Amino acid sequence: MNFWHAAYRRLALAFPHEFKLAYGDEMLQTGEDAIDYLARRHGFAGLLRILLDLLLRLPAEYLSEVRGDLRYAIRTLLKSPGYAFVGILSIGLGIGLTTNLYTAAWTLLTRTLSGVTDPNRLVTAEASASFPWIERYRDQKDLFTGVAAVENDVQFNVALSGETAKPERTYGQLVSPDYFTVLGMTPQRGRLLNAGIDRTGGTPAVVISDRYWHSRFNADPAVIGQTIRLNGQTATIVGVTPRKFDGALNPSPAEIFVPTTVPATVAPELAGDVLHNPTAKDFQFLMRLAPGVSIDAAESALDGITRRLDKDDPFAPSQADKAKRVVLLGAGTRVQIPRDVRPKILGFYAAMMAVVVAIACLNLATMALARGAGRRRELAIRLGVGASRFRLIRQMVTEGLLLSLLGGAAGFALAWALESITDHTRLPAGSPLNPDRSIDWHTALFAFALAVVSGIGFSILPALHATKTDVAPALKEGAALQLSGHKRFGLRNLAIGAQVAGSLLLLLVTGFVVLGLMKSNSVQTYFNPKTMAFLFVDPVRDGYTPAQSQAFFERLPDRLRGTPSITTFALAVQPPYLPGDDDDFQLTVDDAHAATPVQKGTLKHTVGAGFFSVLNEPILAGREFDERDQRLDGDPAPAAGAVLPTMPLMLSQKAARALFGSGNAIGRHVHGDRRTWEIVGVVPDIRDASGMTQAIAYVPLTRHDFAQPPSGGIVIVARGHSAEDAIGGVRSAVASIDPNITLFNVQTLSEYLELIRASIRSALRTFGGIGLFGLILSAIGLAGVTGYAVAQRRKEIGIRMALGARKTQVLSLVLREGITLVAVGTVVGFLGAVALAKALTAITTVFSDAFSLGVGDPRLLIGAPVLLAGLALLACYIPARRATSIDPLQALRQD
Amino acid sequence: MTEQAQVQSFLPLKAQWFHILLSLAGEEQHGYGIMQEVLERTTGKVRLWPATLYGSLKRLIEADLIAESRSRPAPEFDDARRRYYRLTPLGRRVLDAECERLQDLVHAIQAKRAVGPAKRMTP
Repeated sequence: MNFWHAAYRRLALAFPHEFKLAYGDEMLQTGEDAIDYLARRHGFAGLLRILLDLLLRLPAEYLSEVRGDLRYAIRTLLKSPGYAFVGILSIGLGIGLTTNLYTAAWTLLTRTLSGVTDPNRLVTAEASASFPWIERYRDQKDLFTGVAAVENDVQFNVALSGETAKPERTYGQLVSPDYFTVLGMTPQRGRLLNAGIDRTGGTPAVVISDRYWHSRFNADPAVIGQTIRLNGQTATIVGVTPRKFDGALNPSPAEIFVPTTVPATVAPELAGDVLHNPTAKDFQFLMRLAPGVSIDAAESALDGITRRLDKDDPFAPSQADKAKRVVLLGAGTRVQIPRDVRPKILGFYAAMMAVVVAIACLNLATMALARGAGRRRELAIRLGVGASRFRLIRQMVTEGLLLSLLGGAAGFALAWALESITDHTRLPAGSPLNPDRSIDWHTALFAFALAVVSGIGFSILPALHATKTDVAPALKEGAALQLSGHKRFGLRNLAIGAQVAGSLLLLLVTGFVVLGLMKSNSVQTYFNPKTMAFLFVDPVRDGYTPAQSQAFFERLPDRLRGTPSITTFALAVQPPYLPGDDDDFQLTVDDAHAATPVQKGTLKHTVGAGFFSVLNEPILAGREFDERDQRLDGDPAPAAGAVLPTMPLMLSQKAARALFGSGNAIGRHVHGDRRTWEIVGVVPDIRDASGMTQAIAYVPLTRHDFAQPPSGGIVIVARGHSAEDAIGGVRSAVASIDPNITLFNVQTLSEYLELIRASIRSALRTFGGIGLFGLILSAIGLAGVTGYAVAQRRKEIGIRMALGARKTQVLSLVLREGITLVAVGTVVGFLGAVALAKALTAITTVFSDAFSLGVGDPRLLIGAPVLLAGLALLACYIPARRATSIDPLQALRQD
Repeated sequence: MTEQAQVQSFLPLKAQWFHILLSLAGEEQHGYGIMQEVLERTTGKVRLWPATLYGSLKRLIEADLIAESRSRPAPEFDDARRRYYRLTPLGRRVLDAECERLQDLVHAIQAKRAVGPAKRMTP
């Protein structure tokens, strides 16, 4: 029986404090009387029933208290709309920006692919591999349940049936037929590719993405079985991918999935027998780990296999080279990040989000502290009449939560708005559409969680602080105006100092990025940029055979030259000023004397005859490519055993310096991509559209490129009187050869640069927005707190003025406190920002470019602290000025 | 809100509220007394468990249907811990309205009964 009494007592004591105050004793007594009676009358069931009654009422009572708190909180906020407005604004900005960051980056890095079964078991390798190798990997049944080959960002000329319109350039993936099987996917419509059905020699079957189905076919179910013209050949649409799936292993969406079993006429990427050539490393592989196999185990096993395969390849690293040859990455997310870098990138974003939210919280905390001081009397009375401290804290935290939830809703709306701006930003043509990363319930949940955390975060400390009130003095008449008792290191001052420091840190770090990006945002041309245009052409994907394509390109220069509206032109694979950072063209200096040969990873650009003269760039040494170079064979994979002939190569100054120092580069030989190259020219470093200069190796455009244009096609870079003239000229010249040839991605240089800048600007907006946010918030916080301090010291100021203090003295009295805080905060924030930037640059190269450009900028290093300090002082000054206009008589009459 | 509408907004009353109000209709009572009274009146069918009882009392006070009474019994019967409750005028009106509603209900049932068995008898 004792047990039941104890259990009842314990449960009864768990009821809310106020409920216990009113009914606790009676309830205890009633219960204890009842227990004995119940035990006699109903036995165990009765005892259980009485405890169950308590258990069920317990949450209900708490809930009713929360409802009461909430009602009270709403009333309080309605009574001080200014505080509520600033609070909602601060939290809204904080949560909005963080949520935006979250959708922009975090989701991209962490969200798994839609429609994929068990995406965490999918892996891929950092390096690409050849098709025969992938088949060897597939044999490792104990490691993988499936291995598929994928070639990314493959462009197709697609003409839909029944349309007379010109074919459209469409991005897709070239995949082995077991691709969807490895992904473990079920189609939305029709069927997916299948190794059993999609064999070599059958009618080419393709699968389209859900997105493409909606945008091009209006989600018409009759799409299954429709034929399309794919690079001039007939193909049948057999299925639609699951919702929101647009390719694995690709950061940008694929719209069409074409099996590797189609003939090379459909997919020129397959020409040259790449499916059987072990040196054509064109494919990425997508593997599903067998149950129980860890990614590390798979990695070391694959490393061993690759090492054996490399034995047959004379250009592979020597067997003595102990470096890892296979590095596996998780492939279940849209962006694959090396496993060791992943926590660092996520850490950077988490840190940025934390700083933004922390600043918003600090801002509200300082305001809540000030309010807490103003409510001392109210709180003291409530404590005096028996409210528990916990109850008061809960009341204040409820107010905070309400505020931050309202702010969270505002923030979510802001994130939504930012998102739709980003969604409408076009990316540079030539790269596919913006990947789908729209706001969904994940984001909403994130914003909500953030609001709850920050609501509790900013209100708990001030609540603890405010309820520590000594009841007696606070209740005394006029005790709210204590003349002394000003604490130098009080919680409030600490919070303001931290806020100034945090804002400056944010302003500087985002400033580094912004300035870095802005600086990089200028392309320098030695000609009028309004006279240049780019037009892409790809005859093979218009249905030409390689030989026909070659013939087309042989005739093209003469036609272009004969067009009066074109002053100068060149052909190339990459248009000039294209940003890039994929420096995987490894060059090794051919030097028999050197113990360790000089090596340098460069960016490979393929350019045709007269490319640099079109750009008006001077040739620093040697010569540039001419028509003879353009007639070279250039086949990268001739018959087995044959030695590839030496080819000419041009280097950018940066690349030349890295390989040959200050020595002469002309005539020297380097190795790279399985052949020897002879340096024939050195050209200046050209700043790309993102403002970076890279070490670039320029290889000549050859007959091989004409026969099998790379996936992006060949670009005609032309200048005329105006860019429009040049475009018209190229169109008529091409049409004079064959009117059916498609010209795609037609752009003037200005449009092209504008598009690249647009994507940079959206980054600028985000980072700039964050910096600005910190600035505004800290100014609001400082103004609020100083204003409050002035209001509290009205009587003191009144006395001082009555005793003859001058206005300037009062001003300096109020300002002194603010200045000290701002100064300390500025120094701490400055040191923190420099340290953080250094640390980030050291940890990852992702931000180093932007940082290295921004960090050294005196405008930022001096400007940002001065700006912030100035704004902070202004925020102190305005309320301080008001203090000097206090009428001593009125102030003294108060209370 | 008119007085009538305010009364109507409480109807139909929750069972335990009805029993508490009914107990207080005659005299002022303390919590334990209410519990006992209900138990006796319903011959043990309705037991107001302690937490339900005090939770309901709290809500009835918040709804202004009952109030704490100032008058206390003679000291020899009093226990300082006990609180006594009485009906407020609003509480009485609500109770009356509820009784009326229940009576109407009973009439309706009886009217139906009068025809019910007769129907059952015809094959």
